[in-house]
Amino acid sequence: MHKRIFVIFAVALAATTIFALEPGETEFEHNGWYRYTNQSSGLKLTQPSVSRFALERGYIRLSHRWSPPFFTKMTVDIFSSDKYPEGATVRLKEAYADLALPLIKDLNLTAGLQKHYFGLIYSWDYTHPEKSLADDQSVCASADYGVTINGFLPSGLGELQLGVYNGEGYKYAGKYVNTSPELLGNLRLTPLAGITIGASVFTNARDESPYKNDKKGRTTVGTDIYYMNADTSNKNRLGFAPMAKLAYGPISVTLEYIGYNYTRWFSYYKINRDSAGQIIDSTLVEKTKKYQMAGLDVLPIVTIPGRKVEIFGRFSMWNRKEEHGDAMELNKDKSFIRYGGGFNYHFIRREKGKPGLEFQFAWIRTQPKNSDIKPTDVLLAQVRFEWSTIVAKPQL
Amino acid sequence: MKKIITIIALLGTILFGAEIIIKGSDTMLNLTQRLGEAFSAVRPDVTVSVTGGGSGVGINAIINREVDIANASRGIKSKEISSARANGVNPVEIVIALDGLSVIVNSKNPVNKLTLQQIGAIYRGEITNWNQLGGPNKKIVLYGRQPNSGTFVFFRDEVVKGEYAPIMRQMNGNSQIVEGVKADEGGIGYVGLGYIRNIEGIKPVAIARKAGESYVSPTDEADVKSGKYPLTRPLYHYLNGKPKGVVRDFILFELSPEGQKIVEEEGFVPVSENYIQRNNQVLQ
Repeated sequence: MHKRIFVIFAVALAATTIFALEPGETEFEHNGWYRYTNQSSGLKLTQPSVSRFALERGYIRLSHRWSPPFFTKMTVDIFSSDKYPEGATVRLKEAYADLALPLIKDLNLTAGLQKHYFGLIYSWDYTHPEKSLADDQSVCASADYGVTINGFLPSGLGELQLGVYNGEGYKYAGKYVNTSPELLGNLRLTPLAGITIGASVFTNARDESPYKNDKKGRTTVGTDIYYMNADTSNKNRLGFAPMAKLAYGPISVTLEYIGYNYTRWFSYYKINRDSAGQIIDSTLVEKTKKYQMAGLDVLPIVTIPGRKVEIFGRFSMWNRKEEHGDAMELNKDKSFIRYGGGFNYHFIRREKGKPGLEFQFAWIRTQPKNSDIKPTDVLLAQVRFEWSTIVAKPQL
Repeated sequence: MKKIITIIALLGTILFGAEIIIKGSDTMLNLTQRLGEAFSAVRPDVTVSVTGGGSGVGINAIINREVDIANASRGIKSKEISSARANGVNPVEIVIALDGLSVIVNSKNPVNKLTLQQIGAIYRGEITNWNQLGGPNKKIVLYGRQPNSGTFVFFRDEVVKGEYAPIMRQMNGNSQIVEGVKADEGGIGYVGLGYIRNIEGIKPVAIARKAGESYVSPTDEADVKSGKYPLTRPLYHYLNGKPKGVVRDFILFELSPEGQKIVEEEGFVPVSENYIQRNNQVLQ
């Protein structure tokens, strides 16, 4: 894998050098985020794996316009992670083809591994350096394989996306890949300049992938013995996320509500005994458990004139309810309130206003709803740089 | 209270002056700079700063509230309107001049007229030698603009109707194209009308919409204004909402007889009646 990445990088670099005087329509882009994270609870550092320096993002992206209506893009993310023995890994992040639909203006068909048009995920530009709430809480993956029709409504009225994804699977392999189709719709309307409202919804009838089940195997409760099966799955997944954004002058506030429900299906064998205590057979027992999640994200941003500095705040809330018997009880350990703020300083912005070289600082406090658990504070400082260049048009 | 604010604003303008910041189309750069200078001559309290970069860059600058006016030689796209409105920017459009986008060749080239189909085929790389068009046995060298240019987009959509040939040399601005074609007997390029005025070594070709129709030169102002010239296009200002204050004054100056005279002097064509009516709706 590392060899393949090196070849991609070398080709792109060579193309930049050799064809610098022969402009074309292939773009090479690099996004790098060098981040220091300090996580503490009660002024004491938490896990060392969280409080560390990391290459949070190392995107290498190649985009090529083959003809006016046909465009392809591929992005790999090289990032450091303590999950892997070598301390870094590579993930394919985007790989799609995009075709402008004939006859219908401003409507495209996109197929392949692409960003999820759910909630704020698609438009999340990391003004706040952390992920959007839906992404953070794994409501759905930030990118997934799928086919979407996406585009803009006339007169700047908004945008619309309809898609079929294959479920949550882009980061998994083998049996964990979910191939059950997920239907998604997303609508954004801007009836007046500065006022955007919209909503996203997805449904995935059944996630066929067997979820990792940590409780698989033999379990004893009293004198009863159970053999828990590994193949659990989530059924009746439904996510919906209405949003609103208000922008006036240098101030904007974005609000998003997220609702996410699903039913976890699992099974086990109960060992049956006779009156003498001898094992006679077993019974397959299938059970379900419902989960309901709801979240709220509020993001105020003030851009100082000149666009050098952005000051942001964030308030998030996440409630996770789990079914116990007949009741849906709040799982206080996994439900939280999160708030904080920070600023971005743009040393350089790119030609079309995107970040070029930027320093980001944020403080985030997370308080679980279980009052016995102390809040954690995260201080996050990050240098983010993003650049791109037109390399060459290949001679076909 | 309103009176006090107005007085303070007026005092600020008198004491410190005002600045209008304009960015965007390279085709409109010289024209807008001259209009700015002429406006500052009658309004010394106002400075007009104009930079280029291309229509796309200008439109992004208005979306991000970096400028007062974006210059664009193409219309704003749906995606750009959508981004602007979501950002609280309400883009409005004013046409300040008309341009006859001119196809130029080296003055030594005997080819004087082409159809739109022929020009499209040249830029798609399907016609590669001037002898295929009744000219000398000389390879055609293509000069064009970079993708962030409104002229690049307009010419691709209206003439090329496909992909530019990969060998096209993408130049930084109109002047570079003129210089390139001037030094290259096989060269062909496309530039704004304002860039062919009084320049030796190049000539514009007359253009017909298709074979059998009459050929029209971009130097014929009446034909550009009436739209008879096939590559007539409006040159736009984009603003955040209806113009107010000194920005409105500047635009009224641009559209005044004095401003439109400068438009002509710069080689462009004054706005036609239909655009005057559209402009009036925005300026009312």
